[in-house]
Amino acid sequence: MSEMPEQALWSSCKYCGRHVHTEQWGLFLRCPFCGFPKRLTVEQRIEMTFDPDSFQKIDLNIKSKDQLHFKKYADKLTKAQQKTKHDEAITIGTAKIGNHLVAAGIMDNQFMVGTLNTTVGEGIRQIMEAALEQRLPLVLFVTSGGARMQEGIFSLLQMNTILAVQERLLDAGILNINILTDPTMGGASASFAFNSDYVLAEDHAQIGFSGKRVIEQTSGEQLPDEFQSAEYLLEHGQLDDVIQREKLKDVLQQLLDLHTAGDQNG
Amino acid sequence: MANELEQKLKLVRDVNRITGQEIIQQLFHQVLELHGDRINHDDPALFSGIALFENQPVTILSVDRGTSLTERIEKNGGAVRASGYRKALRSVELAEKFNRPVISFLNMPGADASLESENEGQSLMIAKMIAKMGQLKVPNLAVFIGEGHSGGALAFANSNRIVMFENGLFSVASPEAMSAILRKETVSEVVPMTAGKLQKMGLVDQIIKEDQDVISQVNTAIKTWLDDFNNLSSNELIKQRTEKFAHVLAYWDKMD
Ligand SMILES: [Zn+2]
Repeated sequence: MSEMPEQALWSSCKYCGRHVHTEQWGLFLRCPFCGFPKRLTVEQRIEMTFDPDSFQKIDLNIKSKDQLHFKKYADKLTKAQQKTKHDEAITIGTAKIGNHLVAAGIMDNQFMVGTLNTTVGEGIRQIMEAALEQRLPLVLFVTSGGARMQEGIFSLLQMNTILAVQERLLDAGILNINILTDPTMGGASASFAFNSDYVLAEDHAQIGFSGKRVIEQTSGEQLPDEFQSAEYLLEHGQLDDVIQREKLKDVLQQLLDLHTAGDQNG
Repeated sequence: MANELEQKLKLVRDVNRITGQEIIQQLFHQVLELHGDRINHDDPALFSGIALFENQPVTILSVDRGTSLTERIEKNGGAVRASGYRKALRSVELAEKFNRPVISFLNMPGADASLESENEGQSLMIAKMIAKMGQLKVPNLAVFIGEGHSGGALAFANSNRIVMFENGLFSVASPEAMSAILRKETVSEVVPMTAGKLQKMGLVDQIIKEDQDVISQVNTAIKTWLDDFNNLSSNELIKQRTEKFAHVLAYWDKMD
Protein backbone atom coordinates (compact mmCIF):
# COMPACT_ATOMS: atom_id res chain seq x y z
CA MET A 1 0.00 0.00 0.00
CA SER A 2 3.07 2.14 0.25
CA GLU A 3 3.08 2.26 -3.54
CA MET A 4 -0.26 4.05 -3.86
CA PRO A 5 0.10 7.09 -6.06
CA GLU A 6 -0.15 10.56 -4.48
CA GLN A 7 -3.29 11.61 -6.31
CA ALA A 8 -5.22 8.69 -4.89
CA LEU A 9 -5.60 10.17 -1.42
CA TRP A 10 -9.36 10.16 -1.85
CA SER A 11 -11.31 7.51 -3.67
CA SER A 12 -14.98 6.69 -3.75
CA CYS A 13 -16.46 3.47 -2.43
CA LYS A 14 -17.94 1.43 -5.28
CA TYR A 15 -20.79 0.28 -3.07
CA CYS A 16 -21.99 3.25 -1.02
CA GLY A 17 -20.49 5.97 -3.21
CA ARG A 18 -18.97 7.88 -0.27
CA HIS A 19 -15.56 9.48 -0.66
CA VAL A 20 -13.04 7.76 1.54
CA HIS A 21 -9.57 8.99 2.47
CA THR A 22 -6.62 6.63 2.14
CA GLU A 23 -6.14 6.59 5.90
CA GLN A 24 -9.80 5.80 6.44
CA TRP A 25 -9.60 2.79 4.11
CA GLY A 26 -7.14 1.28 6.54
CA LEU A 27 -4.70 -1.54 6.06
CA PHE A 28 -7.27 -3.90 4.54
CA LEU A 29 -9.06 -1.35 2.37
CA ARG A 30 -12.50 -1.75 3.87
CA CYS A 31 -14.99 1.09 3.59
CA PRO A 32 -15.49 2.68 7.03
CA PHE A 33 -19.05 3.65 6.09
CA CYS A 34 -20.61 0.53 4.56
CA GLY A 35 -18.08 -2.16 5.41
CA PHE A 36 -17.56 -3.34 1.84
CA PRO A 37 -14.03 -4.39 0.89
CA LYS A 38 -12.45 -2.35 -1.88
CA ARG A 39 -11.26 -4.10 -5.02
CA LEU A 40 -7.51 -4.58 -4.74
CA THR A 41 -4.58 -4.15 -7.05
CA VAL A 42 -2.35 -7.18 -7.55
CA GLU A 43 0.33 -5.55 -5.38
CA GLN A 44 -2.12 -4.95 -2.55
CA ARG A 45 -3.30 -8.56 -2.75
CA ILE A 46 0.24 -9.88 -2.67
CA GLU A 47 1.15 -7.68 0.29
CA MET A 48 -1.97 -8.70 2.21
CA THR A 49 -1.66 -12.42 1.60
CA PHE A 50 1.92 -13.56 1.36
CA ASP A 51 4.91 -13.38 3.67
CA PRO A 52 6.81 -10.10 3.15
CA ASP A 53 9.01 -10.09 0.04
CA SER A 54 8.31 -13.76 -0.62
CA PHE A 55 6.51 -13.34 -3.95
CA GLN A 56 8.68 -14.33 -6.90
CA LYS A 57 7.07 -13.41 -10.17
CA ILE A 58 7.06 -15.83 -13.10
CA ASP A 59 6.92 -14.17 -16.53
CA LEU A 60 3.92 -15.00 -18.70
CA ASN A 61 4.66 -17.16 -21.75
CA ILE A 62 2.73 -14.99 -24.17
CA LYS A 63 1.54 -11.41 -24.71
CA SER A 64 -1.92 -10.22 -25.73
CA LYS A 65 -2.60 -9.17 -29.29
CA ASP A 66 -5.57 -7.73 -31.14
CA GLN A 67 -5.77 -10.60 -33.64
CA LEU A 68 -9.40 -10.10 -34.63
CA HIS A 69 -8.83 -6.39 -35.27
CA PHE A 70 -11.57 -5.07 -33.08
CA LYS A 71 -11.86 -1.36 -33.01
CA LYS A 72 -10.35 -0.05 -29.81
CA TYR A 73 -9.23 -3.42 -28.40
CA ALA A 74 -5.56 -2.61 -28.89
CA ASP A 75 -6.18 0.77 -27.20
CA LYS A 76 -7.97 -0.88 -24.31
CA LEU A 77 -5.08 -3.28 -23.80
CA THR A 78 -2.56 -0.44 -23.78
CA LYS A 79 -4.64 1.62 -21.36
CA ALA A 80 -5.12 -1.34 -19.01
CA GLN A 81 -1.37 -2.04 -19.12
CA GLN A 82 -0.59 1.58 -18.29
CA LYS A 83 -3.15 1.67 -15.48
CA THR A 84 -2.17 -1.60 -13.80
CA LYS A 85 1.52 -1.75 -14.79
CA HIS A 86 0.89 -5.38 -15.73
CA ASP A 87 0.89 -7.09 -19.11
CA GLU A 88 -2.41 -8.83 -18.55
CA ALA A 89 -5.16 -9.61 -16.05
CA ILE A 90 -3.10 -12.25 -14.29
CA THR A 91 0.11 -12.25 -12.31
CA ILE A 92 1.71 -15.56 -11.41
CA GLY A 93 4.61 -16.67 -9.27
CA THR A 94 5.64 -18.49 -6.14
CA ALA A 95 5.22 -17.13 -2.64
CA LYS A 96 5.21 -18.09 1.00
CA ILE A 97 2.32 -18.20 3.42
CA GLY A 98 3.65 -18.81 6.92
CA ASN A 99 6.61 -20.63 5.43
CA HIS A 100 4.54 -22.82 3.11
CA LEU A 101 5.87 -22.36 -0.40
CA VAL A 102 2.95 -22.10 -2.82
CA ALA A 103 2.33 -21.51 -6.50
CA ALA A 104 0.20 -18.40 -6.73
CA GLY A 105 -2.00 -16.77 -9.34
CA ILE A 106 -3.63 -13.39 -8.84
CA MET A 107 -6.21 -12.26 -11.36
CA ASP A 108 -6.71 -8.54 -11.74
CA ASN A 109 -10.18 -7.00 -12.00
CA GLN A 110 -8.65 -3.61 -12.77
CA PHE A 111 -7.35 -5.02 -16.06
CA MET A 112 -10.44 -5.19 -18.31
CA VAL A 113 -12.40 -6.64 -15.36
CA GLY A 114 -10.13 -9.66 -15.28
CA THR A 115 -11.74 -11.06 -18.40
CA LEU A 116 -10.49 -14.43 -19.59
CA ASN A 117 -8.58 -14.33 -22.87
CA THR A 118 -5.76 -16.20 -24.58
CA THR A 119 -3.00 -14.75 -22.40
CA VAL A 120 -4.87 -14.99 -19.09
CA GLY A 121 -5.80 -18.57 -19.91
CA GLU A 122 -2.23 -19.43 -20.78
CA GLY A 123 -1.07 -17.77 -17.53
CA ILE A 124 -3.44 -19.91 -15.49
CA ARG A 125 -2.30 -23.07 -17.29
CA GLN A 126 1.30 -21.98 -16.78
CA ILE A 127 0.96 -21.64 -12.99
CA MET A 128 -0.97 -24.92 -12.81
CA GLU A 129 1.81 -26.67 -14.75
CA ALA A 130 4.39 -25.07 -12.43
CA ALA A 131 2.46 -26.29 -9.37
CA LEU A 132 2.36 -29.77 -10.91
CA GLU A 133 6.03 -29.83 -11.82
CA GLN A 134 7.26 -28.50 -8.47
CA ARG A 135 4.48 -30.25 -6.53
CA LEU A 136 3.46 -27.03 -4.83
CA PRO A 137 -0.02 -26.20 -3.51
CA LEU A 138 -1.80 -23.79 -5.84
CA VAL A 139 -3.46 -20.71 -4.38
CA LEU A 140 -5.47 -18.88 -6.99
CA PHE A 141 -7.19 -15.54 -6.46
CA VAL A 142 -9.98 -15.51 -8.99
CA THR A 143 -11.71 -12.44 -10.33
CA SER A 144 -13.21 -12.14 -13.77
CA GLY A 145 -16.12 -10.59 -15.54
CA GLY A 146 -16.19 -13.71 -17.76
CA ALA A 147 -14.80 -14.47 -21.18
CA ARG A 148 -13.25 -11.57 -23.11
CA MET A 149 -15.51 -11.01 -26.10
CA GLN A 150 -12.78 -9.38 -28.21
CA GLU A 151 -11.06 -12.76 -28.57
CA GLY A 152 -14.25 -14.64 -29.44
CA ILE A 153 -14.14 -18.43 -29.46
CA PHE A 154 -10.47 -18.34 -28.40
CA SER A 155 -11.59 -16.94 -25.04
CA LEU A 156 -14.25 -19.65 -24.71
CA LEU A 157 -11.73 -22.40 -25.36
CA GLN A 158 -9.66 -21.25 -22.38
CA MET A 159 -12.32 -22.88 -20.21
CA ASN A 160 -11.81 -26.47 -21.37
CA THR A 161 -8.07 -26.16 -21.87
CA ILE A 162 -7.57 -24.78 -18.33
CA LEU A 163 -9.85 -27.48 -16.94
CA ALA A 164 -7.79 -30.16 -18.68
CA VAL A 165 -4.65 -29.02 -16.83
CA GLN A 166 -6.54 -28.51 -13.57
CA GLU A 167 -7.88 -32.07 -13.74
CA ARG A 168 -4.30 -33.38 -14.09
CA LEU A 169 -3.26 -31.20 -11.17
CA LEU A 170 -6.06 -32.46 -8.94
CA ASP A 171 -5.49 -36.08 -10.01
CA ALA A 172 -1.82 -35.72 -9.09
CA GLY A 173 -2.86 -35.02 -5.51
CA ILE A 174 -1.81 -31.38 -5.56
CA LEU A 175 -3.76 -29.09 -3.25
CA ASN A 176 -5.68 -26.33 -5.04
CA ILE A 177 -7.32 -23.55 -3.05
CA ASN A 178 -9.28 -20.91 -4.96
CA ILE A 179 -10.37 -17.65 -3.41
CA LEU A 180 -13.20 -16.08 -5.38
CA THR A 181 -13.13 -12.31 -5.24
CA ASP A 182 -15.30 -9.56 -6.65
CA PRO A 183 -16.48 -10.27 -9.36
CA THR A 184 -16.23 -13.95 -10.39
CA MET A 185 -18.61 -14.54 -13.28
CA GLY A 186 -19.30 -16.44 -16.49
CA GLY A 187 -16.43 -18.26 -18.16
CA ALA A 188 -14.20 -18.15 -15.08
CA SER A 189 -16.97 -19.14 -12.72
CA ALA A 190 -18.09 -22.02 -14.97
CA SER A 191 -14.60 -23.47 -15.34
CA PHE A 192 -11.61 -23.46 -12.98
CA ALA A 193 -13.08 -21.21 -10.24
CA PHE A 194 -15.36 -23.77 -8.62
CA ASN A 195 -13.38 -26.84 -9.69
CA SER A 196 -10.66 -26.58 -7.03
CA ASP A 197 -10.40 -28.71 -3.87
CA TYR A 198 -11.46 -25.79 -1.71
CA VAL A 199 -13.49 -22.80 -2.77
CA LEU A 200 -13.35 -19.79 -0.47
CA ALA A 201 -14.76 -16.37 -1.23
CA GLU A 202 -14.08 -12.90 -0.01
CA ASP A 203 -17.03 -11.27 1.77
CA HIS A 204 -19.47 -9.30 -0.39
CA ALA A 205 -17.94 -10.62 -3.64
CA GLN A 206 -20.34 -11.00 -6.56
CA ILE A 207 -20.18 -14.58 -7.83
CA GLY A 208 -22.34 -16.24 -10.45
CA PHE A 209 -22.71 -17.67 -13.93
CA SER A 210 -25.07 -15.24 -15.66
CA GLY A 211 -25.21 -11.55 -14.83
CA LYS A 212 -28.19 -10.29 -12.82
CA ARG A 213 -29.45 -8.17 -15.71
CA VAL A 214 -29.34 -11.12 -18.11
CA ILE A 215 -31.28 -13.28 -15.67
CA GLU A 216 -33.89 -10.58 -15.14
CA GLN A 217 -34.26 -10.09 -18.89
CA THR A 218 -34.43 -13.76 -19.89
CA SER A 219 -36.42 -15.16 -16.98
CA GLY A 220 -38.34 -12.08 -15.88
CA GLU A 221 -37.64 -13.09 -12.31
CA GLN A 222 -37.36 -10.82 -9.31
CA LEU A 223 -33.98 -11.40 -7.78
CA PRO A 224 -33.28 -11.03 -4.07
CA ASP A 225 -30.99 -8.11 -3.18
CA GLU A 226 -28.30 -10.37 -1.80
CA PHE A 227 -28.46 -12.67 -4.88
CA GLN A 228 -25.01 -13.79 -6.12
CA SER A 229 -23.22 -12.36 -3.10
CA ALA A 230 -20.62 -14.58 -1.45
CA GLU A 231 -22.86 -14.75 1.64
CA TYR A 232 -25.84 -15.87 -0.49
CA LEU A 233 -23.75 -18.59 -2.14
CA LEU A 234 -22.56 -19.82 1.24
CA GLU A 235 -26.16 -20.10 2.37
CA HIS A 236 -26.90 -22.13 -0.78
CA GLY A 237 -24.09 -24.57 -0.07
CA GLN A 238 -21.77 -23.52 -2.87
CA LEU A 239 -18.72 -22.36 -0.95
CA ASP A 240 -16.56 -23.88 1.75
CA ASP A 241 -16.57 -20.54 3.52
CA VAL A 242 -16.66 -16.78 3.19
CA ILE A 243 -13.55 -15.24 4.66
CA GLN A 244 -12.92 -11.60 5.42
CA ARG A 245 -9.61 -10.47 3.98
CA GLU A 246 -8.44 -9.48 7.47
CA LYS A 247 -8.45 -13.20 8.35
CA LEU A 248 -7.59 -14.70 4.98
CA LYS A 249 -3.88 -15.18 5.49
CA ASP A 250 -4.48 -17.03 8.77
CA VAL A 251 -7.14 -19.25 7.20
CA LEU A 252 -4.90 -20.10 4.24
CA GLN A 253 -2.07 -20.91 6.60
CA GLN A 254 -4.34 -23.11 8.70
CA LEU A 255 -5.57 -24.94 5.60
CA LEU A 256 -2.00 -25.46 4.36
CA ASP A 257 -0.94 -26.62 7.87
CA LEU A 258 -3.80 -29.11 7.93
CA HIS A 259 -2.62 -30.60 4.65
CA THR A 260 0.95 -31.06 5.79
CA ALA A 261 0.37 -32.03 9.44
CA GLY A 262 0.49 -35.75 8.63
CA ASP A 263 3.77 -35.40 6.76
CA GLN A 264 5.80 -35.00 9.94
CA ASN A 265 4.18 -38.11 11.40
CA GLY A 266 4.73 -40.24 8.32
CA MET B 1 -25.30 -7.87 -37.88
CA ALA B 2 -24.33 -8.88 -41.36
CA ASN B 3 -26.93 -10.49 -43.59
CA GLU B 4 -25.16 -13.82 -43.79
CA LEU B 5 -25.30 -14.23 -40.03
CA GLU B 6 -28.90 -13.07 -39.76
CA GLN B 7 -29.82 -15.63 -42.41
CA LYS B 8 -28.09 -18.40 -40.48
CA LEU B 9 -29.75 -17.41 -37.22
CA LYS B 10 -33.14 -17.46 -38.90
CA LEU B 11 -32.50 -20.92 -40.30
CA VAL B 12 -31.20 -22.55 -37.13
CA ARG B 13 -33.93 -21.02 -34.98
CA ASP B 14 -36.78 -21.99 -37.30
CA VAL B 15 -39.39 -24.30 -35.75
CA ASN B 16 -39.04 -26.60 -38.75
CA ARG B 17 -35.29 -27.01 -38.33
CA ILE B 18 -34.32 -30.67 -38.14
CA THR B 19 -33.83 -31.73 -34.52
CA GLY B 20 -31.64 -34.21 -32.71
CA GLN B 21 -34.80 -36.18 -31.95
CA GLU B 22 -35.51 -36.68 -35.67
CA ILE B 23 -31.96 -37.83 -36.32
CA ILE B 24 -32.11 -40.18 -33.32
CA GLN B 25 -35.33 -41.74 -34.63
CA GLN B 26 -33.88 -42.32 -38.07
CA LEU B 27 -30.35 -43.49 -37.26
CA PHE B 28 -30.58 -45.32 -33.94
CA HIS B 29 -32.43 -48.38 -32.66
CA GLN B 30 -33.59 -49.53 -29.25
CA VAL B 31 -33.62 -45.93 -27.98
CA LEU B 32 -34.12 -45.83 -24.23
CA GLU B 33 -34.47 -42.45 -22.55
CA LEU B 34 -33.01 -42.02 -19.07
CA HIS B 35 -34.48 -39.28 -16.96
CA GLY B 36 -33.51 -37.17 -14.04
CA ASP B 37 -30.62 -35.72 -12.08
CA ARG B 38 -31.17 -38.13 -9.14
CA ILE B 39 -31.74 -35.19 -6.85
CA ASN B 40 -34.87 -33.26 -7.62
CA HIS B 41 -35.33 -32.49 -11.30
CA ASP B 42 -35.67 -33.89 -14.80
CA ASP B 43 -34.67 -31.06 -17.14
CA PRO B 44 -36.74 -31.38 -20.34
CA ALA B 45 -34.16 -29.28 -22.23
CA LEU B 46 -31.67 -32.15 -22.07
CA PHE B 47 -32.49 -35.53 -23.59
CA SER B 48 -30.31 -38.35 -22.38
CA GLY B 49 -30.52 -41.96 -23.42
CA ILE B 50 -28.93 -45.18 -24.61
CA ALA B 51 -29.39 -46.65 -28.08
CA LEU B 52 -27.83 -48.86 -30.70
CA PHE B 53 -25.99 -47.36 -33.64
CA GLU B 54 -25.79 -50.28 -36.03
CA ASN B 55 -24.87 -52.89 -33.43
CA GLN B 56 -22.96 -50.71 -31.03
CA PRO B 57 -24.50 -49.34 -27.81
CA VAL B 58 -23.96 -45.59 -27.55
CA THR B 59 -25.02 -42.82 -25.18
CA ILE B 60 -26.95 -39.95 -26.73
CA LEU B 61 -27.37 -36.44 -25.39
CA SER B 62 -29.57 -34.04 -27.29
CA VAL B 63 -30.61 -30.43 -26.86
CA ASP B 64 -33.08 -28.69 -29.13
CA ARG B 65 -35.28 -25.63 -28.77
CA GLY B 66 -38.59 -27.47 -29.22
CA THR B 67 -40.76 -27.72 -32.32
CA SER B 68 -43.95 -26.12 -31.00
CA LEU B 69 -44.67 -23.22 -28.67
CA THR B 70 -45.59 -25.58 -25.85
CA GLU B 71 -42.46 -27.61 -26.39
CA ARG B 72 -40.34 -24.48 -26.60
CA ILE B 73 -41.61 -23.32 -23.23
CA GLU B 74 -41.16 -26.76 -21.70
CA LYS B 75 -37.65 -27.09 -23.11
CA ASN B 76 -36.76 -23.57 -22.04
CA GLY B 77 -35.81 -22.79 -25.64
CA GLY B 78 -32.94 -25.27 -25.35
CA ALA B 79 -31.26 -23.49 -22.43
CA VAL B 80 -30.03 -26.33 -20.24
CA ARG B 81 -30.53 -25.89 -16.50
CA ALA B 82 -28.07 -26.83 -13.76
CA SER B 83 -30.10 -30.00 -13.21
CA GLY B 84 -29.78 -30.76 -16.94
CA TYR B 85 -25.99 -30.69 -16.72
CA ARG B 86 -26.23 -32.89 -13.63
CA LYS B 87 -28.32 -35.35 -15.67
CA ALA B 88 -25.83 -35.18 -18.56
CA LEU B 89 -22.91 -35.79 -16.21
CA ARG B 90 -24.61 -38.84 -14.74
CA SER B 91 -25.24 -40.12 -18.24
CA VAL B 92 -21.63 -39.76 -19.45
CA GLU B 93 -20.30 -41.35 -16.26
CA LEU B 94 -22.44 -44.40 -17.04
CA ALA B 95 -21.29 -44.30 -20.65
CA GLU B 96 -17.71 -44.46 -19.45
CA LYS B 97 -18.40 -47.31 -17.06
CA PHE B 98 -20.09 -49.39 -19.75
CA ASN B 99 -17.75 -48.35 -22.54
CA ARG B 100 -20.32 -46.56 -24.68
CA PRO B 101 -19.22 -43.74 -27.00
CA VAL B 102 -21.08 -40.46 -26.42
CA ILE B 103 -22.84 -38.42 -29.13
CA SER B 104 -24.32 -34.96 -28.48
CA PHE B 105 -26.76 -33.24 -30.84
CA LEU B 106 -26.95 -29.51 -30.26
CA ASN B 107 -29.16 -26.60 -31.16
CA MET B 108 -29.27 -24.38 -28.11
CA PRO B 109 -28.68 -20.76 -27.14
CA GLY B 110 -26.44 -21.66 -24.20
CA ALA B 111 -26.97 -22.48 -20.57
CA ASP B 112 -30.06 -21.43 -18.66
CA ALA B 113 -29.90 -18.05 -16.91
CA SER B 114 -32.27 -18.19 -13.96
CA LEU B 115 -32.48 -17.90 -10.20
CA GLU B 116 -33.03 -21.63 -9.88
CA SER B 117 -30.02 -22.64 -11.99
CA GLU B 118 -27.78 -20.18 -10.14
CA ASN B 119 -29.00 -21.52 -6.79
CA GLU B 120 -28.33 -25.06 -7.95
CA GLY B 121 -24.75 -24.39 -8.97
CA GLN B 122 -24.96 -23.74 -12.71
CA SER B 123 -21.29 -22.67 -12.77
CA LEU B 124 -19.97 -25.79 -11.08
CA MET B 125 -22.20 -28.14 -13.08
CA ILE B 126 -20.99 -26.68 -16.39
CA ALA B 127 -17.38 -26.86 -15.18
CA LYS B 128 -17.82 -30.49 -14.12
CA MET B 129 -19.37 -31.43 -17.46
CA ILE B 130 -16.65 -29.69 -19.51
CA ALA B 131 -13.96 -31.32 -17.38
CA LYS B 132 -15.55 -34.77 -17.60
CA MET B 133 -16.00 -34.62 -21.36
CA GLY B 134 -12.33 -33.70 -21.75
CA GLN B 135 -11.17 -36.59 -19.58
CA LEU B 136 -13.71 -39.10 -20.90
CA LYS B 137 -12.28 -42.59 -21.42
CA VAL B 138 -14.68 -43.32 -24.28
CA PRO B 139 -14.92 -41.47 -27.62
CA ASN B 140 -17.21 -38.43 -27.85
CA LEU B 141 -18.68 -36.55 -30.79
CA ALA B 142 -20.57 -33.26 -30.90
CA VAL B 143 -22.96 -32.56 -33.78
CA PHE B 144 -23.97 -28.90 -34.06
CA ILE B 145 -27.30 -29.06 -35.87
CA GLY B 146 -27.87 -25.40 -35.17
CA GLU B 147 -26.18 -23.00 -32.82
CA GLY B 148 -24.52 -23.47 -29.44
CA HIS B 149 -22.87 -20.78 -27.37
CA SER B 150 -20.87 -20.16 -24.22
CA GLY B 151 -19.74 -22.69 -21.66
CA GLY B 152 -23.21 -24.20 -21.86
CA ALA B 153 -22.47 -25.56 -25.35
CA LEU B 154 -18.77 -26.19 -24.67
CA ALA B 155 -19.91 -28.66 -22.00
CA PHE B 156 -20.91 -30.95 -24.91
CA ALA B 157 -18.47 -29.74 -27.55
CA ASN B 158 -15.35 -30.63 -25.54
CA SER B 159 -15.14 -33.76 -27.67
CA ASN B 160 -12.80 -35.78 -29.88
CA ARG B 161 -14.63 -34.64 -32.97
CA ILE B 162 -16.97 -31.76 -33.84
CA VAL B 163 -19.31 -31.97 -36.82
CA MET B 164 -21.35 -28.93 -37.80
CA PHE B 165 -24.24 -28.31 -40.15
CA GLU B 166 -23.22 -25.67 -42.68
CA ASN B 167 -25.44 -23.01 -41.07
CA GLY B 168 -24.37 -23.95 -37.56
CA LEU B 169 -22.77 -21.49 -35.16
CA PHE B 170 -20.52 -21.89 -32.13
CA SER B 171 -19.43 -18.84 -30.23
CA VAL B 172 -18.31 -17.50 -26.86
CA ALA B 173 -21.73 -15.84 -26.53
CA SER B 174 -24.79 -15.48 -28.74
CA PRO B 175 -24.24 -13.04 -31.61
CA GLU B 176 -26.85 -10.75 -30.01
CA ALA B 177 -25.06 -10.76 -26.66
CA MET B 178 -21.72 -10.13 -28.34
CA SER B 179 -23.11 -7.22 -30.33
CA ALA B 180 -24.58 -5.74 -27.15
CA ILE B 181 -21.32 -6.03 -25.25
CA LEU B 182 -19.11 -4.83 -28.08
CA ARG B 183 -21.64 -2.20 -29.12
CA LYS B 184 -21.70 -1.19 -32.75
CA GLU B 185 -18.87 -3.31 -33.97
CA THR B 186 -19.70 -5.81 -36.66
CA VAL B 187 -19.19 -8.95 -34.68
CA SER B 188 -19.95 -11.53 -37.35
CA GLU B 189 -17.35 -10.24 -39.77
CA VAL B 190 -14.43 -10.35 -37.38
CA VAL B 191 -15.25 -13.12 -34.92
CA PRO B 192 -15.04 -16.69 -36.22
CA MET B 193 -18.28 -18.47 -35.32
CA THR B 194 -19.55 -19.99 -38.57
CA ALA B 195 -18.89 -23.57 -39.70
CA GLY B 196 -16.48 -22.57 -42.47
CA LYS B 197 -14.33 -20.33 -40.29
CA LEU B 198 -14.29 -22.79 -37.41
CA GLN B 199 -13.26 -25.57 -39.77
CA LYS B 200 -10.35 -23.46 -40.98
CA MET B 201 -9.21 -23.14 -37.35
CA GLY B 202 -9.41 -26.88 -36.85
CA LEU B 203 -12.23 -26.65 -34.31
CA VAL B 204 -14.91 -28.07 -36.61
CA ASP B 205 -13.73 -31.30 -38.24
CA GLN B 206 -16.50 -31.82 -40.75
CA ILE B 207 -19.36 -29.83 -42.27
CA ILE B 208 -22.76 -31.30 -43.10
CA LYS B 209 -24.08 -29.75 -46.34
CA GLU B 210 -27.67 -28.66 -45.98
CA ASP B 211 -28.55 -28.99 -49.64
CA GLN B 212 -28.10 -32.77 -49.66
CA ASP B 213 -29.52 -35.65 -47.65
CA VAL B 214 -28.41 -34.58 -44.19
CA ILE B 215 -29.44 -37.81 -42.46
CA SER B 216 -27.13 -39.95 -44.57
CA GLN B 217 -24.31 -37.45 -44.12
CA VAL B 218 -24.73 -37.60 -40.33
CA ASN B 219 -24.88 -41.38 -40.56
CA THR B 220 -21.56 -41.46 -42.39
CA ALA B 221 -20.05 -38.94 -39.96
CA ILE B 222 -20.97 -41.12 -36.97
CA LYS B 223 -19.65 -44.26 -38.70
CA THR B 224 -16.35 -42.59 -39.56
CA TRP B 225 -15.98 -41.23 -36.03
CA LEU B 226 -16.56 -44.67 -34.52
CA ASP B 227 -14.12 -46.26 -36.98
CA ASP B 228 -11.50 -43.64 -36.14
CA PHE B 229 -11.87 -43.69 -32.35
CA ASN B 230 -13.31 -47.08 -31.29
CA ASN B 231 -9.90 -48.67 -31.06
CA LEU B 232 -8.08 -45.88 -29.25
CA SER B 233 -7.14 -46.36 -25.61
CA SER B 234 -8.51 -44.01 -22.98
CA ASN B 235 -5.12 -42.27 -22.79
CA GLU B 236 -5.05 -41.82 -26.54
CA LEU B 237 -8.57 -40.37 -26.51
CA ILE B 238 -7.66 -37.84 -23.80
CA LYS B 239 -4.44 -36.97 -25.61
CA GLN B 240 -6.27 -36.47 -28.91
CA ARG B 241 -8.65 -33.95 -27.27
CA THR B 242 -5.79 -32.09 -25.61
CA GLU B 243 -3.92 -31.87 -28.91
CA LYS B 244 -7.02 -30.90 -30.88
CA PHE B 245 -7.78 -27.92 -28.66
CA ALA B 246 -4.12 -26.91 -28.29
CA HIS B 247 -3.96 -26.89 -32.09
CA VAL B 248 -7.02 -24.62 -32.27
CA LEU B 249 -5.57 -22.24 -29.68
CA ALA B 250 -2.33 -22.09 -31.67
CA TYR B 251 -4.36 -20.74 -34.59
CA TRP B 252 -4.74 -17.48 -32.65
CA ASP B 253 -1.17 -16.60 -33.57
CA LYS B 254 -1.68 -17.51 -37.21
CA MET B 255 -4.54 -15.08 -37.84
CA ASP B 256 -3.80 -11.94 -39.79
ZN1 LIG C 1 -18.78 2.12 1.22
